Order: sequence, then structure tokens, then C-alpha cells
Amino acid sequence: MLKRTRLGRHWWGLVFVLPVVLFFAVFSVFPVLFGFAISLTDYNLLDEPFYVGFDNYRNLLDDRLFLTAFKNTLVFVFGATLPVWILSLAVAVLFDQAFRGREFLKTLFFLPVLPPVVVVAVIWRLLLHPNGVMTWFAGGHQGITEIPWLANTTLAPLAMIVVHDWAVIPFFMVIWLAGLAGVPRELREAARLDGASSWQMFWHIDLPQLRATAVLVAALSSINAFQTFTLQYAMAPDPGGPANSTLVLGLLVLKYGFQYFRMGDAAAVSVVMFAMILVVTAIQLGFNRRVR
Amino acid sequence: MTLRRLAFAFAVGVAVQVVVGLGGAAAQQVTLKVWMHEHPPRIPIDKAIVAEFEKANPNIKIQYDVLGVAEYSTKLLTAFASGSGPDIFNQTSALVAQYFTSRIMAPVDLAAMGHANEKVLQDLYGSGLDGIRFGGRLYGIPTEVSNYACYTNNTIWKEAGLDPMKDFPRTWEEFPAIAEKLTQRDANGVPRRRGFDFNWPSAGAFWNSFNALLQQRGGTLVDEATYKAALDTPTNHRTFQYLIDWAAKHRLGGPQYTDSRTDFLGGKLGTDCTFGIWGIPQMHDAKIDFTVRPAPRFADATSDNGMNAYAYYMMVNARSSTAVQKAAWAYVRYYSDQAERLFAGSGLFVPRPEVAARAIDANSRVFLDELKKAKFPPRVVGYSQVLDAVMRGRDRMIQGGEPAAKVLPELNKDIDVILQRERARAEALNR
Repeated sequence: MLKRTRLGRHWWGLVFVLPVVLFFAVFSVFPVLFGFAISLTDYNLLDEPFYVGFDNYRNLLDDRLFLTAFKNTLVFVFGATLPVWILSLAVAVLFDQAFRGREFLKTLFFLPVLPPVVVVAVIWRLLLHPNGVMTWFAGGHQGITEIPWLANTTLAPLAMIVVHDWAVIPFFMVIWLAGLAGVPRELREAARLDGASSWQMFWHIDLPQLRATAVLVAALSSINAFQTFTLQYAMAPDPGGPANSTLVLGLLVLKYGFQYFRMGDAAAVSVVMFAMILVVTAIQLGFNRRVR
Repeated sequence: MTLRRLAFAFAVGVAVQVVVGLGGAAAQQVTLKVWMHEHPPRIPIDKAIVAEFEKANPNIKIQYDVLGVAEYSTKLLTAFASGSGPDIFNQTSALVAQYFTSRIMAPVDLAAMGHANEKVLQDLYGSGLDGIRFGGRLYGIPTEVSNYACYTNNTIWKEAGLDPMKDFPRTWEEFPAIAEKLTQRDANGVPRRRGFDFNWPSAGAFWNSFNALLQQRGGTLVDEATYKAALDTPTNHRTFQYLIDWAAKHRLGGPQYTDSRTDFLGGKLGTDCTFGIWGIPQMHDAKIDFTVRPAPRFADATSDNGMNAYAYYMMVNARSSTAVQKAAWAYVRYYSDQAERLFAGSGLFVPRPEVAARAIDANSRVFLDELKKAKFPPRVVGYSQVLDAVMRGRDRMIQGGEPAAKVLPELNKDIDVILQRERARAEALNR
């Protein structure tokens, strides 16, 4: 009787989760599998796809555009993760202290997270006009009146990273703050009684307690950075430019698929992106498990 | 009993008649799916044309959709991929090569259009058909044929003591000196107002203007007939060098600046050469006192072309049924006969005699005269890839500071790889 009731409960459970499972299967699993199938074809959207095996993947190895986009993506990921982790943690630690006007400043600091990325891109495009506000800030005192922020092959990728970091640091700050709120106060009190300095308390108490938060921040920021697209599309005067210096894998997928009529190659790049994100996330999760 | 049977047979007969009749009517009824890219002033005229056509052809129903310019090509592509593409669509001459290769476009059906022969169309549109002719056959009818010419902001020119009619440069070699006179610089020599600049950020505008510059000296970016890149030639090196000098040596502009059209309409640019005849209403809206002048030529030009021509064509889906295609060509004929009305209401020009007769002012005449000499840029499969490659090469030289002697051979090689790949693919499809 008991067994039958349990079984019945199990069945009801399955019925309840079925819509979500179906939704996930149709809108997540199927597109991934379909994308992989497309990556094995030569397909221009207008004609029937024809099977080419792993040729698209082999071709990527000496595809100059892909290699450029791959390199640019790695540079962007580096610039959009490590500084973000450190700076967002630093700001979170700052806002974890009690001081006057903290809540107001915290709200103010969180504002860049609110507008959509495309709005951020358009605003920064104006700020980074060669004769614009940022030029005045950066070079006005030295009499410099023109800096081609977005038209220089070195400055443009750097500008993308800075704007991205500016927009996401407040978001990760909130995650760190949530982590810091979970650190038992009595540990700090005990350490303080033992004469530990603020730095020692942070290093030996807060940081080890933030391990799970760190993995979450690392995973989310890496995935977010690997998938970057909007800034490079909307902020550069010409998407991916100048001279492909801001061409990233996400943008290359769009170009291959819908501008170059090379859907097979676009799907292959997507699969590579997927694999990269999977590997990085697995390493981070594995690291977390090992440390535990 | 017999009577009941007779009544039953009669009822069945009537029912069969009704069903067959309805079926017959349904078979004659054709619905055409028409997709056009967005051009707001044209939409009400299009809708009126659709209503008139449907009234004149009660058996043809038009399902008219307007799609935003930015997403138009992508939506068209995905619609064809899913088998739900429109029966009639318009597309720019720059992209038609891909549609031709994929056999999406049906050849013009002269009989369905009610034309006796192709000469009729040739007499109507002249060189406007050059962008849609493949292997001697026509695949569409122009809804817009454009070419660029140079608009001067007369206020800025007068301020600099120049008269656009007398002082506008005849050659590109004369242009830097004139542009310098029109340019206002700050203490560091940075242009605050440019006299003239190329439209660097707009890929399409750059293609239509820069390729024309190469053509003036007998060159081209790509040879459409052989599907080979043609960049790495001494003449083309000199033309690229002209661009590099414009930005780096003369510092008259460059890719770091805003789209030239935007700056011209905002009064920050003295001259722009990437507006078509359709720009005239925009000048009036922006309250700019303007003059249209022909684009300069190089002193050693071997061809008297100004900027390139480009067009939008109305085409019929080759995958639609025969009946639908016939109805579609009938609609295309009806629509194209409204050219004068479309020009008057939306500024879209096609070189039909009745439309040309309306463009009588001096500024419009410049466009018409230049159009006669204009050439279409090369139409190749892989156009977007080639264009991107050219833009990247240009950036390397102008913004990256790499020498043309290094970049152009590499660019030539890259474009050859793109074209060979596309050609091989097209051949595989046609086997």
C-alpha cells in the first residue's frame, strides 16, 4: 500500500515536471543537437544542406577569421573575468562595511546593470567619440583633442573590455555581497579578539568562506564573457572592426550564418564556443569540488 | 421509394456541383505573398496599388508585408530556408548573385507581364536592368535605380569663399586643397568641421564609391567574369594610396568619424558624395541649401564613370507554383507601371522615360546624367565576405598603419580564397 502510494507520488512528480522537461528538450536540447547536425553540412539556407563530415571543423584550423576571432575572444575573456572578479570583490568588501550613505551609494553603483547592453553600447559610443567626453577626460589637460578610441586597433578592444567590466562589476558585487553576508560574524569577532588585522580577517576568514560564491562568479562571468556579442556589434563603428580587432566568436557566428550564407561554418563555430564554455565551467566546478 | 431515390440522387448531384464549383473557384484563386523592405513614404502607395490590383484582378489576393531594412535580408533567408519564402520580393543588386546561384529567382515571364519582347523593357529601363541580368536573361524589374553624386552645403562653401558651381573639383587630385579650404580645425589641427570625407563606416556606401574610383582608372575590386580578386595591381595601389593619404597625410577625415551622411545633414560636413536622388527631400527636411555636382574623376581616368549605380529589383520566387508565378509577374507589371506615382510620392527613381521627365530641376539632372555613365559594382556570390575583407584591409592600412604593399597582396589572396570557395560551391550545386 505504502509502495503504491510512493509510486503514485513519483508519477505525479513526473507529470508536474514534464512541461519543463519538454520545454527544455524542445528549446534547449534539440537546438544544440540540430546545431551540431548543421555543423556537419555545407548549408547556405537557400539550398539543401549537403553532408561534409567534419570538414567545417578542419577548415576552422586555418580560417584566418576564426583564428582572429578566437584570439580576440580569449583576450576579451581574460579582460572580462580576472579584473571583474578582483574589482567586484573589492567593491563588495567596501560596501560590506558600515558607513553613512552606504545604501544610496550601493544603489548608485548598481545602476549600470539596469540598462540593456545595447543601450550601454550606444551611450559609450557617444562618450568615446574621438572628440568626445572621454577624450577630454583623458587628454584635455595635455591639450589632446582627438583620441580614436573605437577606430584604433589597440584601443578598440581595450575599450570593449573596460565598458563590459564597468557594466558587469556591480552585478557581481551583489553576488559577492550575498556571499559575504553568509560569513558567520562570530568568526570575525573571535579573530578580532585575537588581534587579527582587517587584511588577515579577509584573507583567512572571508575568502575561504566565499569559495562557493567565487566559483559562481567565475562560472557566470566566464560564460558571459565567452558569449560576448552586443558590445562588439553595437559599439564599434563597424561590427567587429577596426581591422577585425573586436571580432569575437559570437559575432563571427552571425557573420557566417546570416551575412556570408555559411550556416555550416556558423554552426561549427557555435559548437566550438559551446565546447569552450563547457570545458571552462567543468574546470571551475572540478576545482571547487577538489578544494572542498 | 423511387421518388425518394430520385430526390436523394438530385441532392447528391447538387452537393457534388457545389463542391466541384467551389473547388474550381478555389483553384483559380491565387494568393501572392509580397515582401518589401521598409521605405516609409512608399508604404501607403504600395497599399493603394495592392488594393487597385486586387480590384482589377478579383482572382488574385495580395498578402503584403513590409520588413525593416536591418532584418530584411536575414528574414528573407530564413523564410526561404523554411520553405515559406514570399512569392514576390525585392532585394538589392549587391545580393542578387547569391539568389541567382541558388536558383531562387525566376526569369522574367514576358508573356505573363504582357510584354511582346525584352526590347520593351530595355527601352523602358536601359542600363537599370544591368544589375539583374545573368547569362543574358533578366530576373527582375527595378523598383529603384540609384547612383550617388556630390551634395555641397552651400552655406559652408560660401563661408569658405567658394562657389560649388565654379569651384567644385573636377578631379580627385584637386579635391584635398578644396576640402582643406572648407575644413575648420582646432588648435591641434583636428578637424572640427570637415570639408569632404568618404563614407567610411557604411560598408555599402564604401563599396559603391570606392569601387567606382578603381573603375575610373580601369580597375575593379573583383572581376565578376573570372571570379578573381583584382586588387593587387599598380593602378589599384595608387587609388588605395589616395585614400590612405586622405586620412593620414592630409588629415581631412577617416574611418574614426561618424557616418558622412549624418554629419552632412547635421551641418558638420561641407560635401558628401553618398546620397542619391532620394537625398533631395532629406536636404529640404534638414533645411540645407545645397547643390548637386558630379563626382570628381581621376586626372588619368580611362573611364568617365562617377559613383557606382545600384538598384532594388522586384523578383519572383522560382519555387512558387507556375500559376502563382504567372500571377506574380502580372502584379510586377502592374506595380512597375506605377513608377511615376512612386517617384512622386516616395522619391524612388527608376529610369523610365515618364519618371525621368519629372526630374527636371538642375540637381536631379546631375543624377540622371551621371546614371548614364555609372557602372554597377561587381555582383559575386560571397559579396558580404568580400566587402568585409576589403573593409578590414582598408582598416589595416589606414588605422593600423600597415603599408599597402604588404596588405593588398594578402587581401587579394584572401578574396581569391573566398571567391574560389563560393564558386566551387555553386558548381557543386549545379551538378
